[in-house]
Amino acid sequence: MGRTVPTITRQLNETEAMLQTFRRTLRRGDQALLDGLLASAHRHLAAISASGALLPFEAALLAMLLEQARRIAALEEEIRIFQEEVVRLRDGKG
Amino acid sequence: MARVEKTGWLMDVYTRPSGELVCWLLSEDGQRWLLPMDFPVTFYAAGSLAVLRQAWRFLRGRGVQLSRQVRRDLFHGERVVLSATLDLPGRLPETYRRLAQAFPALDYYDADLPLAVRFVAGTQAPLLGRCRFETDGQRLLGLQPLESAWEMQPSLPPLRVMEIECDAEPALHPPQDIVIRCDRRCYRFPLQPLRAFVVNLQALLGTYDPDVILTRYGDTWLFPFLSEHAPSFNPNRDEQMKVEFRRERSLFAYGQVLYRGAQALLFGRWHIDRCNAALFAEIGLTGALEMARVTGLGVQEAVRKSPGAGITAMQMQTALRDGVLIPAVKQQAESTRTLVSLIRYDRGGMVYQPLVGVHRHVAELDFASMYPAIMVRYNISPETLYQRDAPAGLIPRTLQPLLVKRLALKHCLHTLDRRDSRVSDLKARQTALKWLLVVCFGYLGYKNARFGRVESHEAVTAISRELLLQAKENAEDMGFTILHMYVDSLFVKREDTRTEADFLPLAEKIQAETGIGVTLEGVYRWLVFLPACRDQRIPVANRYFGVFEDGTLKYRGIALRRHDTCPYVAQTQLDILSCLAQADDPREQWKEAWGLVNQRVRSLQRRQAAIEGLQMAVKLSRDPQAFRRPSAAAQAARQLQAEGVAVRAGMRLFFWFTQQGVSVAPPAAEEVDWDHYARLVLRAAGEILDVLQPVEKKQQYYLPLLK
Repeated sequence: MGRTVPTITRQLNETEAMLQTFRRTLRRGDQALLDGLLASAHRHLAAISASGALLPFEAALLAMLLEQARRIAALEEEIRIFQEEVVRLRDGKG
Repeated sequence: MARVEKTGWLMDVYTRPSGELVCWLLSEDGQRWLLPMDFPVTFYAAGSLAVLRQAWRFLRGRGVQLSRQVRRDLFHGERVVLSATLDLPGRLPETYRRLAQAFPALDYYDADLPLAVRFVAGTQAPLLGRCRFETDGQRLLGLQPLESAWEMQPSLPPLRVMEIECDAEPALHPPQDIVIRCDRRCYRFPLQPLRAFVVNLQALLGTYDPDVILTRYGDTWLFPFLSEHAPSFNPNRDEQMKVEFRRERSLFAYGQVLYRGAQALLFGRWHIDRCNAALFAEIGLTGALEMARVTGLGVQEAVRKSPGAGITAMQMQTALRDGVLIPAVKQQAESTRTLVSLIRYDRGGMVYQPLVGVHRHVAELDFASMYPAIMVRYNISPETLYQRDAPAGLIPRTLQPLLVKRLALKHCLHTLDRRDSRVSDLKARQTALKWLLVVCFGYLGYKNARFGRVESHEAVTAISRELLLQAKENAEDMGFTILHMYVDSLFVKREDTRTEADFLPLAEKIQAETGIGVTLEGVYRWLVFLPACRDQRIPVANRYFGVFEDGTLKYRGIALRRHDTCPYVAQTQLDILSCLAQADDPREQWKEAWGLVNQRVRSLQRRQAAIEGLQMAVKLSRDPQAFRRPSAAAQAARQLQAEGVAVRAGMRLFFWFTQQGVSVAPPAAEEVDWDHYARLVLRAAGEILDVLQPVEKKQQYYLPLLK
């Protein structure tokens, strides 16, 4: 409505459409991983839009990295809990 | 008749073919008056002095008083203008048309204003407002307002309402009988022989003398039909006037094709066609009166036009009162912009993608009338842009009383018991005002709006984004998790918050920090944010369902909200939600909900559902011949055309899915495509239930039903 610039959702969808040949060339397993990465960027549309970047895909890549970092942090936390549990069992406190 | 002074209500104003202005008044003693009044009107032309001199010579001797004046243009400052005053307001449109044709290079002002708006601004007497008037029985000699348009509890004129309905939808079947209701009586007349019907209708109009004629298809069928077949019939109270017909049209607005049917307007009484009045179903007569009162547009115009016309009329009133010129054609084009500037500023409201899934004890906080409140608080108006400490602009001054009145009505509604008899009227009035406030922001950036300027439009969204970020930071400072933010509302939760009282400190803090009113819409017992249909990992803004602590459901973006969902599917989805709402966590009710879906699908497979519930509705996005593929809408449109119905883009069509495709007439049970409806039910059920359980469990339930 009166806007000249396409919405951030539309821009990302268009970029994803442009990447279809790239996606097609990947192995089936890697395609699923790529889809997951692209989907994770959609969780941060507001931030990508707010960055005001000329090329919003740069900000989208950051959003994907952010989601990876979140996943790593969550896994690290799980490992820590498992390690504590292992130590507890090893020390015979379980 | 000697001069008399009366107290009553100003109902409407219009001009007769002679050009003189007539006021329709209703006095407290119940008398209806149609009184001509002296009301000279003025328009202006500006431009090169040489052309203005020629224009002067053109108008001289045509009964126009001419003078040279200096007046203020909102964008260009003071301008030398040629002022042309006509004693007969009805002559202005023709005089202006001829002048503009002869001198197209001039800028014209105040030339195409609705007469009622001009009258209200000139006399300060609002439509539907109480007033004192003086008359000698022939003319209106004086008019003094006793009420303003912003009265919280305005006195209401005692209106006589007549309802006229036909027994069929005229576009599909020729009506046979006409039902007329008036003064708690009901009459049924056959349409043929027409002469007898017209005599009866004329007699009822004479007996009851209604102020309002409420019809179904009065615009598009009844009055055009009577005008064609009974030309001597005149439904106007003012016998000097004929019914004014306006042609149907399709238009593109708000990103969709809209259809506006033909219109039939009366004089000395109002005609409202329920089927052709955009907002009437929602706001009713009370809301229509409120809209006319605050906008200055006559009731017949106010119910048929979009709220955008109402907000424009209000801006015109402010401009007329302030002596600001109103351009006939908008003259400001958007200034040249760099791509970086566009990317940075040409953005909408802030939308924070939701965290998909089930959440418990969630509060929804809303900024009250956020965009208009920003315009008022930050003085956003085309002429105040880039200025610090500018006096209040035209837009904020127009919106301020509207905003105050709506908030006061809302507050009043909150204090009343739901069963209170005043609630429905108050709701209708506040909804009418809400629509005006909703569109006022869009009109700030609309290219054809008289006082629009896209930069001020962008300023509003920029401030709104900043305010929402402030709200987010406040919430996070207080330990809340932001689940979703959507333009002017945010959804938050915290481990230890359950009741409204727990969330109020947050609402108060945001309000104090931002200076814009924040209301707590409510606390959800549970709330589910839905993912995209194409990929369950992608969240979608403003697509959710949930149940408040008091058991009230709220849902957005699902089939139940869409106009193209048939009643059977919508009811199934609503029943699923009601079933889920019985539990503290919707996942606990998952099996019961699927049981319900199973039952509905089986009903369809056994052909037990009522045909009326399967009627689909679709709004035609283009003219029938423009369809390239035989979609359901295209098929329905072509069937109607084959039956001789004039189908236009923007019309709403109704049809059923059948084994052969679609049918616009109710099909027999064996013709209905029951499997298609079963698939629609499953899709609607999946929309709600899929997110609640893992994929493998879903398949256990889906597959047997699909067989």
